Amino acid sequence: MKVIFKYVRLCVLLIPALTLAEQDTAFNSLDDDVQTLKKKTLELNRDLFLLEEELLFPSNTQVSVFISMDVGKFFSLDSVKLKIDDKEVADYLYTQREIDALIRGGVQRLHVGNLRTGEHEITAFFTGKGPHGRDYKRGTTAKIRKGLGPKYVELKIVDRTGNYQPEFEVKEW
Amino acid sequence: MRRALLRLLLTALLGISGSGFCLAAKKKPQQVQDLHYGEVLFQFYREDYFTAITHLMAARQRQQLPHHAAEAELLLGGLQLSYGMHREAQKQFEGILDTQADRDTRNRVWYYLARIAYQRGLYEDARNAIRNIEALRDERLRAELAVMSANIRMALGENAEAAAELANTEAPEEWREYLRINRGIALLRAGDIEQGRAILDRLGAGDADSEELRALRDRANLGLGYQLLKAGKGEEARTYLERVRLKGPFMRAALLGAGWADAGRGDYRRALTPWLALLDRTSYDPPVQEAHLAVPYAFARLGDQQRAIHFYEQAISYFDNQQQEIEHAIESVQSGLMLKLLTQADTGISGGWLHANPTLEGIPAGRYLVDVLSGHDFQETLKDYRDLGYLENLLEERLASIELYHDMVDTRRLAYEKNAPRIRERLQREEAAELRRQWQACRNKLQAARNSGDPMDLATRKEQQQWHKLSGLRDRLAKLPSNARFDALKDKARWLQGILYWQIQADYRQRLWNIDKQLRAIEGAVDEARKRHARVRAALDGVRAGFDGYEARIEALRQRILALLPAIRQARGGTSSHLQRLALNELENRRQRLVSYRSQARYALARNYDLLTRQHLENQP
Repeated sequence: MKVIFKYVRLCVLLIPALTLAEQDTAFNSLDDDVQTLKKKTLELNRDLFLLEEELLFPSNTQVSVFISMDVGKFFSLDSVKLKIDDKEVADYLYTQREIDALIRGGVQRLHVGNLRTGEHEITAFFTGKGPHGRDYKRGTTAKIRKGLGPKYVELKIVDRTGNYQPEFEVKEW
Repeated sequence: MRRALLRLLLTALLGISGSGFCLAAKKKPQQVQDLHYGEVLFQFYREDYFTAITHLMAARQRQQLPHHAAEAELLLGGLQLSYGMHREAQKQFEGILDTQADRDTRNRVWYYLARIAYQRGLYEDARNAIRNIEALRDERLRAELAVMSANIRMALGENAEAAAELANTEAPEEWREYLRINRGIALLRAGDIEQGRAILDRLGAGDADSEELRALRDRANLGLGYQLLKAGKGEEARTYLERVRLKGPFMRAALLGAGWADAGRGDYRRALTPWLALLDRTSYDPPVQEAHLAVPYAFARLGDQQRAIHFYEQAISYFDNQQQEIEHAIESVQSGLMLKLLTQADTGISGGWLHANPTLEGIPAGRYLVDVLSGHDFQETLKDYRDLGYLENLLEERLASIELYHDMVDTRRLAYEKNAPRIRERLQREEAAELRRQWQACRNKLQAARNSGDPMDLATRKEQQQWHKLSGLRDRLAKLPSNARFDALKDKARWLQGILYWQIQADYRQRLWNIDKQLRAIEGAVDEARKRHARVRAALDGVRAGFDGYEARIEALRQRILALLPAIRQARGGTSSHLQRLALNELENRRQRLVSYRSQARYALARNYDLLTRQHLENQP
């Protein structure tokens, strides 16, 4: 019967784990070290990120294109192809996790590049599933004006309840 | 634990703009007013915490989050928490409390602080943090906090108080069952088996509409069954153990317990049914291992020594095989194969979580490692190991890029040195200032024309030529003698000059307006040219200093990378050793258990052979 009680003890532990495993001192010290390293690396990475943007995409020529989506009821996004002045600059295939991130209000920076001041044409092709699960491909084109500061363009995928169709809007920030 | 926290954080953040913070699993999209805040959310939602924190800190430094400043602070704390930076998250949240945050924000902050303390086992701190949460209107949140508070009490050994707290908490329908389960468990822990049983009994018999709830019920039934078994109430224990689903993760433990419930009442024949069902030579679960001892034990108690011997021999063979597999598993851990396998599962995204379980194919006795992998301590250390691996790769890539930055700056410096003299020479011509002077001269001329009111001031070059030509002609005609032919010519010249004057005068106002309009139209461009001139001059002077600034910045960053990399590698080595130690400890425990089972089996086998021999001798005439 000893075996029974050994197993009884084991199964009492199977009751929802209401206490966390005790961590030994060595592990705590390691955990502290890891946290410190993460903090330092994050700060370093921020500074590198800022330097990289300054060098590669100076604010006077910088153009960033963002993708956002509202409910996504009438359109399920698969991929986006982006052209600026008829030159392809991005072709992105989305994972389900990324689609969810967009639907929840996340905004993806699809492209960052450099453009001279003046007028430019931006074209985006969206592919995915439209109403009733049908294959859906739609393009949208807009003229944007690049001034002296950085230029931010948002491509919005919007549900239109009026005609049960998705719409693709271009918004300059 | 972190995943659950992440889920809560996500839902709480989604409710930020609302009146209270909501912990229900809503998927309501957040309206973003600053693109860069939305970009951080995107990284957060796709669970790339490292990138999300980096971008959030960068956006904060560049002041790109004017509309979401307060939310960004809360989000940063949440991201740090999700990224395993409890210490920083705590500081961040405490920093928010120092500001004039509103009650909802403060409540949210206290909630996270409670969770941080709870996760780290600082139960008193967690309790104090919960006490600071005030006037909650949200029932769901109240229920969740009650569960956390009860868990804290149970961790501190205050089981009866935990049960009382849960009993007094009003909860929405979807939370009630969780509260009851926790209350039942608290009562069992407090030793009030009857009341705990009454609660868990009701829960265990009902329908559950989610897998999570079904698994919880299985646990409740299993826990209750074993509690009753321990109290010597085998028949009642069996009732609860039979409720455990046969397809669930607790099926084997339930079958084993059911057998012991029968055996406890002396019904070894009935006990054999669940125990024999457990005999699967390929399984390594502890209940299956124990069943290999229990089956021959039951046969021995039924007096069937021959079958008992058969099953003890089978058990010894099974334990030998299992032990051999564990030896292989130990070797694979010691050789670093386990870590290699785990590294192969890297997704290249920060966060350290295994989004899919790594394949264990080809790993000797890999199935033993699955159990090791699922341990809390192991998971936390593994996450650190993977995070550090990500950081190491990232910094190595950054170090390579730093050299490119140097080249980039050098290239720009060369281009500057090549082009700067030409640009300086052009700047010295002061073309923009000259343009402005010319424009001003035109403006002055126009003003003079306006003041004089003489239409001829606005005559075109052609009109002026015509005017002078006609004036000269009239002068020459005036010198000629007067006769009919000359007089007619004089009249015609006077008439033509009059016509010309009249035309110019008729257009005078229009001309004034046109010239004024044109001067105004180009004024902006002329000024812009002057400003550009100044900017180019300033940029030209500043570029050299900029090069030096970049050089210094790049070098400083390079030194920071070089200082961090060895520390990261060392810490990764530490986590790797810790992981190996955890795995080896677990495997060693399993090996020891098998050794113990095997020796019990051998002892029992010898005893049964002895019994059989004695029976044989007694039966001989």
